Amino acid sequence: MAQLLVDGAISGVVIALLAAGFAVVYLPTRIFHVALGGIYVIAPLIAWTVLRYQWSWPVAIAASLISGIVLGLACEALNHSWLARKPGAEGAHLISSLGLYMVFSEAAALVWGNETKSIRMGLDRVWEIGPVVVTGAQASAAAAASLMLATFYIWLRWTGLGLTFRALASNPTEIALRGYSLQRLRFIAFGLSGLFGATAAILNSMDLGFGPRGGLVVLFLAVVASIVGGRESFAGPVLGGLLVGILRAEIAWFTSTRWQDAAVFLLLALVLAARPGGVLGTTKRVEAL
Amino acid sequence: MNYVLHLSIYLGIYCIAALSLNIIVGYCGLLTMAHAAYFAIGSYVYAITTTRFLWTPLQAASMAVGASVVLSVVVSLAPRRFKRDSFVLISLAVQVIVFSVIANWFEPMTPPGTLRNLTNGPFGISGVLRPSIFGISLEPLARFAALAVGAALVFAVVLHFLLNSPWGRLLKASRDDELVARGLGKNVDLARIQAFAFACGSVAFAGALYASYVGYIDPSTASLDHSILMLSLVIVGGTGNIRGPLAGAAVLLLLPEALRTARIDDAVAASVRLLIFGVLLVVMMHLRPQGLLGEYRVR
Repeated sequence: MAQLLVDGAISGVVIALLAAGFAVVYLPTRIFHVALGGIYVIAPLIAWTVLRYQWSWPVAIAASLISGIVLGLACEALNHSWLARKPGAEGAHLISSLGLYMVFSEAAALVWGNETKSIRMGLDRVWEIGPVVVTGAQASAAAAASLMLATFYIWLRWTGLGLTFRALASNPTEIALRGYSLQRLRFIAFGLSGLFGATAAILNSMDLGFGPRGGLVVLFLAVVASIVGGRESFAGPVLGGLLVGILRAEIAWFTSTRWQDAAVFLLLALVLAARPGGVLGTTKRVEAL
Repeated sequence: MNYVLHLSIYLGIYCIAALSLNIIVGYCGLLTMAHAAYFAIGSYVYAITTTRFLWTPLQAASMAVGASVVLSVVVSLAPRRFKRDSFVLISLAVQVIVFSVIANWFEPMTPPGTLRNLTNGPFGISGVLRPSIFGISLEPLARFAALAVGAALVFAVVLHFLLNSPWGRLLKASRDDELVARGLGKNVDLARIQAFAFACGSVAFAGALYASYVGYIDPSTASLDHSILMLSLVIVGGTGNIRGPLAGAAVLLLLPEALRTARIDDAVAASVRLLIFGVLLVVMMHLRPQGLLGEYRVR
């Protein structure tokens, strides 16, 4: 039981990181950043390519994270910032982002092929802590994701820019009226989102195989996490990520891994029906969200 | 000749799917990601009832439409509450849950169509025969093509009259300004539930046609990718009128054929097709949000 909780929580932290990547764009801009799924797909493939050319691990990770940031910024620079200048259309943002996801994912398939790849190095080290067994990949994933999330929340809570960013998420119109550059803040949001997405992808790829498909499903798990946790705060995605991770581990144990996705989306439907603001959200009608 | 007939059957099936999706996207103003789920429900119900219970094609198709309508009514009982992002999420939940059920309601060594192995999981259901209606066998390709194209034409004409009737105008009015429609005493919720039921029932019929034509179905018909493909063909073709989705279905079908004449390898062509669709979605949202021949701009 303890093992299940730990496994679930570790995968949950990585989902939480991806969910934070989604929420960091969704909260301030209300853009449903589906293209993050494409970034999630491309980042480990970049690391894989760098490693194939016999470069070191730090170079591979750096290249992969930079590619995530650049792709995130490109989404804003080439697509969303242009759409935002026209009369508002959430649907247009969502559909064009879906289009970008298809472009990223299919371009990855064309460049790297459809087969699953791996960057795992040999057998993993294993630690036994009481009744719980943790592998090296799990430990490093949990540590790196927690560190990144903690840094993000410290930045958000204690720096001036973080304060402006929270204000943007709370009331974008007023922050624009007060003379802050929305464009700059939006670029920061998309850059951070790309960074979080690429990091989550690298951490998952240490443990699992990866390929050009499947980014959308993982992204939607993260979206569920951020909605279930609470879509009005930056803390929601973390709580939601942990909940989704633990739920998936429990479902795998008590029934089968085949039902994991269905269970997660059933949870989403229940939360939307009963508590649309999410666990941390205030009680509101769903129309107001 | 057979090749043209094959294309026209696909065109007929996807015209029905696109026109029905347009009711939700173009006339209710809601983005759904679950349309392939209802398509697959139609295919599976038709396949299981004809192969396992030996129902006649009409009975099976009615059951397929009925099952899809019932699910859509259950899901859309709360349409008033779920809008914009929330609606996308709910439709996504329906899509993933239906796909999981279809892909996983499976037990080895048990005949498909039973309670323990309803859908035969990843192995799918084979042996679905082409129907014969009123004693006329639709086994020859030309007759089946006539059925598919005829069904699409009849559907387009019915839809034209329906969407230009007071009911269609009510849908448009509630899409453009729901508060005004409600203020005028119109029952917007009921109209939307009806529109959903009609759209989901029609796409289930398209699914039944697909199952009886191909003869074999597997969970990929219910996949999220299939839903996204349907959504993109409606968005690219255009929403809010009849000719837009028809144009989208034509583009969807002609694009792979164009790639085939360009002698691109099949595996690469699948990716290139989706890549082009992705680019089209982005470009359309910037330059022509109402699609090629549509009237309604997605909001």
